[in-house]
Amino acid sequence: MGALLVRRALLAIPTLAGVVVVAFLLLYVAPGDPVLEMVGERADSATIARLRAELHLDESLPRQFVHYAGGVVRGDLGRSFITGRPIARDIAERFPKTLELAGTAMLLAIVVGVSLGVLSARHPGGWIDRGALAIAYVGVSFPVYWVGLLLILLFAVVLHWLPPSGYGRPEFLILPALALGSRSIAFLARMTRSSMLEVLSSDFVRTARAKGAREKAVLMHHALRNALVPVISVLGLDFGSYLTGSILTETVFSWPGIGRYVVNAIGRRDLPAIQGTVLFLSVVFVAVNVITDLAYAAADPRIAYD
Amino acid sequence: MPLSPSSSRSRSRSRLTFVALLALAACRGGEAAHRRTLVDARDRYDPKSLDPALSTDVPTGRAVSYLFDGLTRFSPDAKVGPALATRWDVSPDGRTYLFHLRPGVRFHDGTLLHASDVVHSFTRVLDPTNKSGRPWPLYPIAGARTFAAGKATAVSGLAAVDDSTVRITLDTALAIFPKLLAMPVASVVPPKIAADFGEHPIGTGPWTLVAWQHDDYVLLARNSEYFGGAPKLDSLMIRIIPEPSTAVAEFESGNVDLLYVPEADAPRWEQTDEKKALLTSAPALRLWYVALNTTRGPLKDVRVRQALNHAVDVRTILDKLLGGRGRLAAGVIPPTLEGADTSRAPYAYDPAAAKRLLAAAGYAKGFDVELWLPQDPAFRRVAESIQSYLAAVGVRAKIVQRESAAAREAARNGQTDMIVKDWYADYPDAENFLYPLLHGANRGVGGNVSFYENPTFDRIVSLARTDPDSATRAALYRQADSLAFADAPMIYLFFYNELYAVQPWVKGFIAPTIFNGQKFTDVTITAH
Repeated sequence: MGALLVRRALLAIPTLAGVVVVAFLLLYVAPGDPVLEMVGERADSATIARLRAELHLDESLPRQFVHYAGGVVRGDLGRSFITGRPIARDIAERFPKTLELAGTAMLLAIVVGVSLGVLSARHPGGWIDRGALAIAYVGVSFPVYWVGLLLILLFAVVLHWLPPSGYGRPEFLILPALALGSRSIAFLARMTRSSMLEVLSSDFVRTARAKGAREKAVLMHHALRNALVPVISVLGLDFGSYLTGSILTETVFSWPGIGRYVVNAIGRRDLPAIQGTVLFLSVVFVAVNVITDLAYAAADPRIAYD
Repeated sequence: MPLSPSSSRSRSRSRLTFVALLALAACRGGEAAHRRTLVDARDRYDPKSLDPALSTDVPTGRAVSYLFDGLTRFSPDAKVGPALATRWDVSPDGRTYLFHLRPGVRFHDGTLLHASDVVHSFTRVLDPTNKSGRPWPLYPIAGARTFAAGKATAVSGLAAVDDSTVRITLDTALAIFPKLLAMPVASVVPPKIAADFGEHPIGTGPWTLVAWQHDDYVLLARNSEYFGGAPKLDSLMIRIIPEPSTAVAEFESGNVDLLYVPEADAPRWEQTDEKKALLTSAPALRLWYVALNTTRGPLKDVRVRQALNHAVDVRTILDKLLGGRGRLAAGVIPPTLEGADTSRAPYAYDPAAAKRLLAAAGYAKGFDVELWLPQDPAFRRVAESIQSYLAAVGVRAKIVQRESAAAREAARNGQTDMIVKDWYADYPDAENFLYPLLHGANRGVGGNVSFYENPTFDRIVSLARTDPDSATRAALYRQADSLAFADAPMIYLFFYNELYAVQPWVKGFIAPTIFNGQKFTDVTITAH
C-alpha cells in the first residue's frame, strides 16, 4: 500500500506540471484582458499600461511563465489581480465550505442511493424497484440548477421549512446537498442494483443460501461487499467532480465555495486566481483518485497493485 | 420542526454583540430584534475589496460609500452636497478649490480627521504601487498625472493649508470637480493603512464593518458617532446572491428587505398587483444603447446610422421587454440632468424612412453586420428584437454573444460593428455621458466604443467642462448632444428606470438615482 502511494504521488507530478502549463497557456489564448477588468468601464491608457507593467503582463510569454512557475514551485500561488488578496488564503477560506457541501452530498448519495439499490435488487420488479427507478430517472435527467430552484421553491418559499440560500448553521446545508447529490443518488441506486443482481446470481451466493445463511446476511455480507467495486469507482469520480466543480449548486444556493470563486475569477480574467485554483483542484482530483484506488483494494482483496 | 423563515437574519444577529444575543433570547424568535437589521440583496457578486482605492465597480463602490466619506457626497436624488467638507471656495479662475473640513470628525478607530488625511488619501489613489484601477477622477489635480507616472514625489496641486483646510489646485478649471470628489475612489482614509486595509477598513462613514464573509455577506453596524446623524437601524447586511431567482425566493420568504428586480423579470413584477405594490423606481442615470462603430464598413455612412435608428421600434422594446419604466433617448444626456433637451424628439420608428436612407447610401439591398452583446438575458432579448427590426429593412445582423470580459475587450479594440451596451453614470452630470461615450479622446478604452470623432463636438464638450457658469455649460452640453444625435453614432435606446422591490415594513428608502447615493441612514423597519 505504501509503495502504491509513493508511486501514485510520483506519477502525479508530471500530471500537475502539465496542468500548470495548460492552465497558463489556455488563458492567454482566451479572449478578455485582465487589466480591462481591473479598471472598470471607463479608463485611461496610461493607467492600463502602468498596471500591465506592475503585473508583468507586458513581458514575453515564456518570461511570464517562468515568473509564474517559479512562484508555484516555491509554494506561492500569488495574489489576485482584482482583490489583491493572496490566492492561497482565498482557497483556504472557500475549499472547506465546498468540502462540507460535497461531503454531505456524497453521504446522502451513499446512504440513499446504495440503500435504494440494495432494496431494489432484493425484489427486482417490485414496488420499491419501480419507485427507485422513477426517482433515478428524475435524478439523472433534471439538471442540478433546476432541481435546486424547485427545492428552494418548495421547502423555502412555500413550506418555510428551510432557508432558501446562504451559509451557516446545518439547515443551510440540506437543500444544496440534496440538489448536488441528486444525480449521484440516482446513479448509485441503478449501479448498486445491477451490480447486486449480478453478484446475487453468482455461485457463492447460492452456496451461502444453501448453507442456510439468513437473507440479510447474504445481502449485506456476501453480495454487497462484492458489488461495491463498481460503486466505489462511481463514488470516487462523483466526489472528485463535486469537490472541483459544484459551480451551479453553489451559485443557485449562494454557497460561498470554491466553485463560485473560480467562476468569478474567470469572469474577471483574474489570471493568478484561475491558475492557482485550477492547480489546487487538480491536486484534489488526483488525491481523490488515489483514495478511490486504495478503497478498491480494501473492498476487494483480490485487487492488488504491483 | 419548522424553522424560522428569518433564519438568515438570525445568522447575522449571531455576529452581533453578546448583549444583542441576550435581547434576542429574551424576545424568543426575535421579532423585535430582527427589525434592527436591514438585509440588502442587490449585489450579485462580492465587492472586490473595501479599500476605496480599488473601487471600480458598483458592489465595491456601494460598500465603500457606507464605510467612508469623501469631501462631498451625493443625495439619493443625485445632488452633490457637503460631506467631510462643509463648504468650499473656488477661485475666480476656477482652478483653485479651498475645502473647509467639518470640525471634530473621527475615524471609526477614534483618530481625528485632519486635512493632511485628505492629501494622503488622494496621493494614495494616484500612487502607481497601489494598483488603483481608477485614478482618473483625481487626474484634474495639478501634478496628478506626473505623480501617477512616477515622475514626481508628491502631487503638486494638493496641500493641507492647516488642520481643517485643504487647497486643491487644478490644471484647468473644471466645474464638475466637486462631483468627482463624491465618487467612492475619492474617499478619505486614515493616516495609517495596514496591509489588510481592504479587509479591515477604517473610515468615517455611517457604518462600520462587523464581518465580511466572502461571497456570502458583509455585515455593518451603525456608527453612532456619525457626523451626519447616526443611522436609525442597528445594522445593515449586504447579502451576496449570484442567482436572481434565488434572490427573489429570499425576498418572497421575507428574509431580505431589498431586491434589485432583474431587467428581464420587470414585466412579470409589473403585471401582478401585489408585487407591483412593492416596487419602487427612480429615473436612474443609465443609458441603454447600441454603439455603432463609425469606422467600420457601411456604418461609416451617417445615413446608414440614421437609418438604423429609424428601423428600430424602441418604444415597443422598452414596453414589452422591460416593463415600460423609462424614457426613450433623444441624445445621451438623461432628462433629469442639466443640458438635456427634453423637447428633442427621438428618432421616429419609420421603416420606410430607414429604407430610403439606406438606398440613398447605396445599400438598397441591405448589408451584413455583426451585432455583439455581453452575456445577459435582458440584453439578449433586446438584441434579438433589434435583429428582427433590422431584418425588416434589409439589414442582416448576426448576433455575436460573448461573455462580458470578451465582449468588452472586442468593443474597446474596435472589433465590433455594433454592440448592445448600457452606461451607468459615475457622477450626475451631462459631462459623464458626453465625454466618455463620444469624445474623441476616449475612443476605445475610455468608453467611446462608437469610435466617434467630431472635432466640433470635442471642442464644445471641452469648453463646457471648463466653464464655471452652469447655464452656459448646460447650453453647450445641449448643443454637443444635439450635434452627436444628428450624427447617430449609436442606436439611441432608452434611459431605464431601475426597479427595486422593497418589503412593506421598510420605511424611508428612496431609490437612488446614482449608485452610491443611498447610505441607509434614514431608513427604518417597522413592526411586521
